[in-house]
Amino acid sequence: MGGSQGPRHLCPALVIRLPRGPDGTSRGFDPNSPRYQALSPVSISTAGCGNEASLEREQQGRVALRERYLRSLFAMVGRTIHFTMYERVNVSAFFDASDIDILNFQVSDLQTPLGVHREALLRCSDIISYTFEL
Amino acid sequence: MAMRQTPLTCSGHTRPVVDLAFSDITPYGYFLISACKDGKPMLRQGDTGDWIGTFLGHKGAVWGATLNRDATKAATAAADFTAKVWDAVSGDELITLAHKHIVKSVNFTEDSNYLLTGGQDKLLRIYDLSKPEAEPQVVSGHTSGIKKALWSSDDKQILSADDKTLRLWDRNTMTEVKAINVAMSVSSMEYVPEGEILVVTYGRTIAFHSAETLEQIKSFEAPATVNSASLHPEKEFIVAGGEDFKLYKYDYNTGEELESYKGHFGPIHCVRFSPDGELYASGSEDGTLRLWQTTVGKTYGLWKCVVPGKNFVYIFGKTLLHHNLSKSYTTNSQLKVRPARVTSFL
Repeated sequence: MGGSQGPRHLCPALVIRLPRGPDGTSRGFDPNSPRYQALSPVSISTAGCGNEASLEREQQGRVALRERYLRSLFAMVGRTIHFTMYERVNVSAFFDASDIDILNFQVSDLQTPLGVHREALLRCSDIISYTFEL
Repeated sequence: MAMRQTPLTCSGHTRPVVDLAFSDITPYGYFLISACKDGKPMLRQGDTGDWIGTFLGHKGAVWGATLNRDATKAATAAADFTAKVWDAVSGDELITLAHKHIVKSVNFTEDSNYLLTGGQDKLLRIYDLSKPEAEPQVVSGHTSGIKKALWSSDDKQILSADDKTLRLWDRNTMTEVKAINVAMSVSSMEYVPEGEILVVTYGRTIAFHSAETLEQIKSFEAPATVNSASLHPEKEFIVAGGEDFKLYKYDYNTGEELESYKGHFGPIHCVRFSPDGELYASGSEDGTLRLWQTTVGKTYGLWKCVVPGKNFVYIFGKTLLHHNLSKSYTTNSQLKVRPARVTSFL
């Protein structure tokens, strides 16, 4: 009894596949997974405490804010935007589009200390704030 | 037909894996976090080893990692002199707690409201996670760097280990209740609430102490220096791994060595049983985590039990075909061809 197994006489336990590894492109935490959908914190938690009327008012406020933000994205197209980013980085570019989750901004003629990038993608999580003139 | 252990290798880390921890069983299964010297701790599904995400933010080797009970929060301890608390669902960094030296150990209370940290500055710190900017409560007394600090007795006490001592502290009075000297440098410590058992490793010894009195209950000697050991939830087995790259499984009651496995390409730094006891995970200097079955050959997670004599035909190499060609399985190991009987079994 005990000691190591000899490889000759035993048949290997089978596996249906190997564990999946990192996908190499993102840090993971798939927002489409059931756990994420169920548990992910909302960015601004609700202030109302169960009162139907105040919840409804709060929801309407959220709808109005969301619509204003989306309209502001439309207003940005084709204009020069000044981005303040982490590590004291300030860049400017023409705004082209945002992806649907507001995770990335597509920009052109991105002015950086290293030069001008004709087309670029800015990661929104790297942006602290941005301003533009109407 | 007795089966040979097929470990599942989880790759992704690029440097040694130095710590790992499981969550409790949640409605979404259970989870595993691994701490790595590459500074990027990873979260995985506990029963399959599938990668879920990587916590990005530390600027140095991560020495300790833990999950809260329902795996909604993670905490990590790093060589960049910080401990961080993370949202384990989104991967976002929630809180950074600055320390004065390398942080080695982090542990949540059962309600996830407090975090205990310990490290090279020899101080235990208790952070109130609802007020992260507030100064932590600090407990001093250790005379060398703290390797591990754990809540015990329903979070009313703290167990901590440094190079030569194990100490028990009362949480309310913040004073030391008991201390014992250990023969050699403590390499790991695991607290088992049911039965108040402390599993400690030092040198080649795997020792079991009472978590309430610190008295030693029993100990076993392994063939080589042991870096980590874990007690099965039902207290039937111990698994341990260390400097000889091998994993050992012992009967907890008799101390008999039941199984041993080679597989890692470097010393094993950490070993933990899953919360249901069906598998155990090992982290190694070789940068991988491996999942091992407690009962070899049982259907669980990615392992599949196959009844001998019925369904399979060997093909040389690593592929096994079902007799009606409807399914195929691959294994990690080379299978032998049996030319005499085409429909031979596993």
